[in-house]
Amino acid sequence: MSIAESEARLLSTEHTGDIAGSRMREAFRQLRRNPVAILGAALITLFVVVAVFAPWLAPHSPTAGDLSQITLSHVPGPSAEHPLGLDTQGRDELSRIIYGARASLLIGVVSLSLGALVGMLIGALAGGLGGWVDSLLMRLMDIMLAVPGLLFAIAVAAVLQPSLRSVMIAIAVVNVPVFARLLRASMIGQRHSDYVLAARSIGVRRWRIIVGHVLPNSLAPVIVQGTLSLATAIIDAAGLAFLGLGSADPSVPEWGRMLADTQQYLQSAPQLALFPGLAIVVSVLGFNLLGDALREALDPKLRR
Amino acid sequence: MRSNKVLALVLGGVLAGTAACGSDSKPADSGSGKSGGTLVFGTSADPVSMDGAYVSDGESLRVVDQLFETLVTTKAGGTEAEPKLAKSWTASADGKAWTFALQTGVKFHDGTAFNAKAVCANFDRWYNFKGIQQSPSVSYYWSTVFGGFKTQENPDVPKTSLFASCEAKDDATAVVNLTSPSSSFIAGLAVPAFSIASPDALVKYRADKVSGTGDSPKFDGTFGTQHPIGTGPFKFDSYTPGDKLVISRNDGYWGTKAKLDKVIFKPIADGPARRQALESGDIQGYDFVDPGDVKTLQAKYTVLQRPAFNVGYVGFNQKKAPMDNLKIRQAVAHALNRAALVKAKYPPGSVVAKEFMPPMLFGYANDVTDYAYDPEKAKQLIKESGVTNPKLEFWYPTNVSRPYMPDAKANWEAFKSDLEKVGFTITAKSAPWRPDYNQKVNNGGAQMYLLGWTGDFGDPDNFVGTFFRTAQPAWGFDNPAIFNALEKARVESDPAKRTAAYQDANKLIMEFLPGVPYVHTQPSLAFNKNVKGYVPSPVSLESFADVTVG
Repeated sequence: MSIAESEARLLSTEHTGDIAGSRMREAFRQLRRNPVAILGAALITLFVVVAVFAPWLAPHSPTAGDLSQITLSHVPGPSAEHPLGLDTQGRDELSRIIYGARASLLIGVVSLSLGALVGMLIGALAGGLGGWVDSLLMRLMDIMLAVPGLLFAIAVAAVLQPSLRSVMIAIAVVNVPVFARLLRASMIGQRHSDYVLAARSIGVRRWRIIVGHVLPNSLAPVIVQGTLSLATAIIDAAGLAFLGLGSADPSVPEWGRMLADTQQYLQSAPQLALFPGLAIVVSVLGFNLLGDALREALDPKLRR
Repeated sequence: MRSNKVLALVLGGVLAGTAACGSDSKPADSGSGKSGGTLVFGTSADPVSMDGAYVSDGESLRVVDQLFETLVTTKAGGTEAEPKLAKSWTASADGKAWTFALQTGVKFHDGTAFNAKAVCANFDRWYNFKGIQQSPSVSYYWSTVFGGFKTQENPDVPKTSLFASCEAKDDATAVVNLTSPSSSFIAGLAVPAFSIASPDALVKYRADKVSGTGDSPKFDGTFGTQHPIGTGPFKFDSYTPGDKLVISRNDGYWGTKAKLDKVIFKPIADGPARRQALESGDIQGYDFVDPGDVKTLQAKYTVLQRPAFNVGYVGFNQKKAPMDNLKIRQAVAHALNRAALVKAKYPPGSVVAKEFMPPMLFGYANDVTDYAYDPEKAKQLIKESGVTNPKLEFWYPTNVSRPYMPDAKANWEAFKSDLEKVGFTITAKSAPWRPDYNQKVNNGGAQMYLLGWTGDFGDPDNFVGTFFRTAQPAWGFDNPAIFNALEKARVESDPAKRTAAYQDANKLIMEFLPGVPYVHTQPSLAFNKNVKGYVPSPVSLESFADVTVG
């Protein structure tokens, strides 16, 4: 879905003076009745629980390996001791998948929060102030959007030293213009609504109108985009790690890197490509399902 | 003749090296096959030039080695110097004047005579290189073996040269004078970069016309592309860059004539594509078999392995504490499970290294200090070292694959895991191989790092000498005992004493433990079963003259 398209779809939401809080409560009620949302939430919960409780869930160390059973043409597959088999360095694959959830969650949450925060700040400035500030900021965002997201992230990550922090910054940077544009568009939509005009007519100051009325009512599309962007962030992180732009320490379990490491062993140990791939798919699917359901819930038109 | 005695001394080592290749990789008897036929051989790239003086890459040297000959050659399948265009050689008492007795009745492919004048013409040509010709990427081997040129025009090459002059005493006697005693240069002369070319052809085809820049030279003459004229068992036929290079038997060859009518070199850059070309019958043999393919190919093809002539090692920079602490270095050595890594991540035939040069080279000492895998001892050594919670920055290169290091990241991960087991805290550091990583390490910026070396020619000075004969930032230590031992060994002209001197130096080095060598690997070639007589060489100098097809 292109940015413009998602903007248009998110903006179709009608904001008729509904105060933000009550709409959220209504949306939540909607979500609980939606099986897609439940499935999405369940997958996300699984992902988060695995990430948070990795040390208790993992049966073995994710970094200490035993090379004695590995050769260039043979990697042991699943067994009772190692349910998903060993990886190419003789480490327990299951434990690495479990710890890999940590890196994915951490990168996803941090990069998204950072990107969304900066993006929303820019969006709020542009949408709230309008005029030349708006033009300048939006042209800047347009330039950033003109470069494909992952390519941009690769460039940023390549310039910085290889580390998880660089990956987070790279993905955050990619997310900035998305959130900036979204919030700005949403705020402009609110600017001429009746409650704003009413507030202005009784003499409320401009910054109070922006922070107190326009902003809270403009957040709905941002929340939806946030959930969907988390999925993209996880994929981007995996993509960067796959290309060798992840953590400098290759023994840190990252799903993308785990995929890349198995390239030479695809014929002898195809399971090693399968498991991290599945982990990525499941976690991304969770966020996508929830994001879609959330959009439905927050959009009165789609609800009807 | 005393230099020739060097050779016999190390035969034992060579035999051991060949035996280690296993039954499949033993070279077939030469001389048993029929004459005639054409061999199509898959290479990894086109030659840069067929003018040996300008090249240092294996693909160029491979072709040059068939068309040209050197004064001294390397024993087939070994590293010892053997007579070729020079029947014998002797050093003066001071080790500075070397007299070469030349073969007689030898003719270049253009019909001109090979004699002492031609030899000196070649030496003088190299010594008088100017401008771009002096760039280390153009005349790498001259600067490696002889240092500088007559006039230094490139700041990257040494000011002084080991070479002083060359005199043609009579047609069959050439004397090479050196500026200081050296014995290591004899082995260096076996590199095809020191091929004797027809002086007439060099002039006629403007071999000395070079333009462009040092890093990307342009050879304007046609000597290196269309008229490479030497004395070798094959002569040049045709060359279509990117498609094929054809050479054919030199019927006027002075020695045993080549058996094949023609050899066609086909460049195929991609490893899997070379394998497929062999399987589809487009080629009958190829170089640089991917490590993972060795096992599969062995079933239907002849897989030959070059005796190990490289070393992969973990280097320490002693300028960066606690690497200056011998107990810490010993702890690292005992902590690394080198055998497990070599078994898991290297192709069959690779061996665990215990010193900084391969076993087949003379001067290798069997009784150096051995650091067996022993995590308990490593923990004990850390305790004794007085360093609590030792932290190390451990570097590995990215974007690189070398025979001694097919997958640097995998080696790093295995070693990191080993080191953490005994109580080291490891910080990961990495950089792209070229140029960042090499610069970082060579400038002394890396505390502990993965690196390796592939030998250029069969002399220990090309291994331990390049590492430890002088103080180097990468190692960060100043140990006159080691420096002196290696310098003494380098200039020694008595072969037996020289071997002993290098053995002593190797013992000193491994006691001091500037790094932990961990692997010697054997690069592989594959041939159809009906191709016989190819003898894999540790230094990749392999003649097609004895090869037969079918």
